[in-house]
Amino acid sequence: MNPASLLDAALDDLLRRVRPLLAVIQDGRRGAGAGVSVGDGLVLTNNHVVARGRSVRVTLEDDGTFEARVLARDPEVDLALLHFPGGSGLPAAVFASERPRPGEMVFAFGHPWGQRNVLTGGVLSAVTTARTRRGEIPILRTDARLAPGNSGGPLLNAAGEVIGLNAMIFGGDQGIAIPAGIILKFLEQARRSNPSRPVPEGAL
Amino acid sequence: MSNVLVELSNALATAAEKAGASTVTVNARRRMPASGIAIAPDLVLTANHVVEFDEGITVNLADGTELPAALAGRDHASDLALLRLDGSKARAAEPAKDARIGQIVLALGRPSAEGIEASLGVVSALGGPVRTRHGGLDKYIRTDTTPFPGFSGGPLVDAEGRVVGLNTSGFGHGAAITIPADLAWKIAGQLAEHGSVKRGYLGIRSQGVEIPQAAQTALKRDQATGLLVVGVEKGSPAEAGSLMVGDILVAVNGQPVRNHDELLVQLSGDLVGKAAPVELLRGGQPQTVTVTIGARE
Repeated sequence: MNPASLLDAALDDLLRRVRPLLAVIQDGRRGAGAGVSVGDGLVLTNNHVVARGRSVRVTLEDDGTFEARVLARDPEVDLALLHFPGGSGLPAAVFASERPRPGEMVFAFGHPWGQRNVLTGGVLSAVTTARTRRGEIPILRTDARLAPGNSGGPLLNAAGEVIGLNAMIFGGDQGIAIPAGIILKFLEQARRSNPSRPVPEGAL
Repeated sequence: MSNVLVELSNALATAAEKAGASTVTVNARRRMPASGIAIAPDLVLTANHVVEFDEGITVNLADGTELPAALAGRDHASDLALLRLDGSKARAAEPAKDARIGQIVLALGRPSAEGIEASLGVVSALGGPVRTRHGGLDKYIRTDTTPFPGFSGGPLVDAEGRVVGLNTSGFGHGAAITIPADLAWKIAGQLAEHGSVKRGYLGIRSQGVEIPQAAQTALKRDQATGLLVVGVEKGSPAEAGSLMVGDILVAVNGQPVRNHDELLVQLSGDLVGKAAPVELLRGGQPQTVTVTIGARE
């Protein structure tokens, strides 16, 4: 096989592994966002995707739809954690442990313009910072095509690990993602502040 | 896990890192900084349109070191400018051989202190010669990479981190093109030596005309168009070389001249001050005269 065919096979494999992780998130408004399973019935998404209420609908790859509860949210870093009882059997996303490098290949997975399970590719354009009320936070920028509906979906590296959560589109050609480090801190915080329904270790 | 996708990804990140070590920040305009390529320890090539200042220019190397830089020369025709650093601390980039259509490339920039930035694409087209606002460009590369703000002056690199060319959005229409490395390095050499690029001057006014089939046969050239001379300036190289109104120019220095763009490109650079054969049709008959190409002011 030539390298291009090997590349095709590797992409097929990546897609097969990450497909079951991706959910459609709706909070009753028009349009939908994406979410990524982190195990034990927990789904991570953007806060702005579920800004409307405490109850949202989660649709899985097999079209099964569940009511989910917003367990924790942090508008400052645009993250929210959902829980639904039927989701305990879902696989959990693996987060990248190494710092992402500009120029490495990345894949955004989501539902741009409402089209389900769309994978777009590009490279990590920059590891940069954004100003929030809490101070500067690191963010990732990519040249992979993003559109409304990608929000809350994972930004994956070539190994299929989550390096960030897609959050915004600037100027049509520049996507912004919240990096894995911020996500892991958020999950840890969510676990500590929810003793009654603890975020399982497995998610961290 | 490791597979061919991970290997490609690592190779691209390593290419960005390698070429990124030679990609600098150029602070020479009021708006956001732009990028530049170190071509020698003390020389940085960048896009002319991002160098708005003649003085007070600084350059940030990949490690963040800020150095004052002097403008060594500019060339409006190719939108290139050369800066000379106060100190020989930059890591020189490695130029690549010719670009190929379909080749995987990264556009790099360093518009801020936050580090190298990249966008992925392929070589979409190889073009030229083309007429630009201030002269002619021998050849250029078009890609589908995304020119992020501040990318002008930065490199287009191949999968090995070698510089395929210099990216610029200075030719207008919001589109970015890439000046091929061999041309960019050649112009940089002229800027380092003379501070400008010499451009040839003939001293004719002309318009495009068709060359009849019989004349093409007589010329032994498969060339459908040439340039009809409609005016010869007094005291010009053309007059000295006995060019006349009514002549049809077909080639300069052995290279076909089918239109104004090709004439401009043929006159750029190397021919200045040299005696060049000019092939023409006079009364339907092929002739070759010798013209010593002048320098355009």
